[in-house]
Amino acid sequence: MFQIDLKSRKAIYEQVVDNFKELIIAGVLKPDEKVPSVRDMAKELTINPNTIQKAYRELENRGYFYSVSGLGSFVSVPAEAAGSSHRIKELKELFRSTVNELVFLGCSKEEILKLMEETGLSKGKVDEND
Amino acid sequence: MIKVENLTKEFEGFKALDELNLHVRKGSIYGLVGVNGSGKTTVIKHIAGVYKQDRGRVIIDGEDIFDNIPIKRRLSYISDDLYFFGMYTLKGSAAYYQKLYPEWNSDRYAHMTEKFGLDENKRLSKFSKGMRKQAAFILAMSSMPDVLILDEPIDGLDPLVRRLVIKYIVEDVAEREMTVLVSSHNLKEMEGLCDSIGIINRGKMLIERDLDDLKSDVHKIQAVFPEGKEVVLEGLNVLFREKRGSVDMLIIRGNGDEIESRLRKNKPVVLDLLPLSLEEIFIYEIGGEKDEFKELLF
Repeated sequence: MFQIDLKSRKAIYEQVVDNFKELIIAGVLKPDEKVPSVRDMAKELTINPNTIQKAYRELENRGYFYSVSGLGSFVSVPAEAAGSSHRIKELKELFRSTVNELVFLGCSKEEILKLMEETGLSKGKVDEND
Repeated sequence: MIKVENLTKEFEGFKALDELNLHVRKGSIYGLVGVNGSGKTTVIKHIAGVYKQDRGRVIIDGEDIFDNIPIKRRLSYISDDLYFFGMYTLKGSAAYYQKLYPEWNSDRYAHMTEKFGLDENKRLSKFSKGMRKQAAFILAMSSMPDVLILDEPIDGLDPLVRRLVIKYIVEDVAEREMTVLVSSHNLKEMEGLCDSIGIINRGKMLIERDLDDLKSDVHKIQAVFPEGKEVVLEGLNVLFREKRGSVDMLIIRGNGDEIESRLRKNKPVVLDLLPLSLEEIFIYEIGGEKDEFKELLF
């Protein structure tokens, strides 16, 4: 399904969480689809089952999974997913470092602003408060 | 599942273990780490019921382990220095284990012997060092233990065999909630395998925690702050700070998000915040107050 990078500094359970989120956002995992059991996932990734369990709990807390007792975990309908604020924070961070690098490499403020205009911004799909 | 309380052991006046405490939950994979001579193997030999303690208790599943045969039947221990009967083959050893362990699983033995590709009719003394370790692992896993104790099990095995060994361990933890205590110097590998970590030093338990909590608690930061302005580090638990040129190296304990938002107030030009790896935590905690060890972190 996906691979775990043991060399990454990111905690393994976070990697599992992020990988599942990506699969759900990309539509690879459909709403109400059953996800592999903790055991199967642990065996497939050769990762400690307790770590997988922790990741599943986290996915449930963030609204990506729901569990039915005795049946296992299932993918939630995206509308119910409430974890986007975290992602927004991540993206802002990425944006900040990208802009900093552009400035370092000699991009002028005007160029960067122009770049932003060329993206979704010009379509008016922007939150005024942001 | 495993509980060690105030364990003390002396060897000819040398205090190998000093009031050591250790706890392993059922179904957990617990990593025991420490420098050479810190007492890892001594603790392990107490938990396996090989040594008798001077003071304190070693309890498995509510009972004292020493001389406790019913509990020992549910426990497998692979020591660092393996011992086999001189003339025995793997097959002969398996027959012997079968008599000792009531839960012995012949199907698993056959399956694993084939998977590892060992010749069960060859004398164990003719096996290479790594093959002997594999043989010990097959015997330990085929006795279907509730508690598995491994003293540097994967050190000295080739990468393929290592993956296979880890796969079997993970499978049994997932399927039957086997409890595992493992010691190793290979901290990278421990990071993927363990959920709890105990760091011991000079016969004492230094830290015992969930690996994820341990890792998210201490952060290393490389930052460049604007020149000429005083950097405000108020409210931050700064463990170490060093300036190298214009770059600030910091080690700060606490929540990652909070550290970051506080540091951002100084308007840093560069700010990299990284959780420490297990190896770095080890260097940091064992190195203690000595700054020359902390410098190893950057």
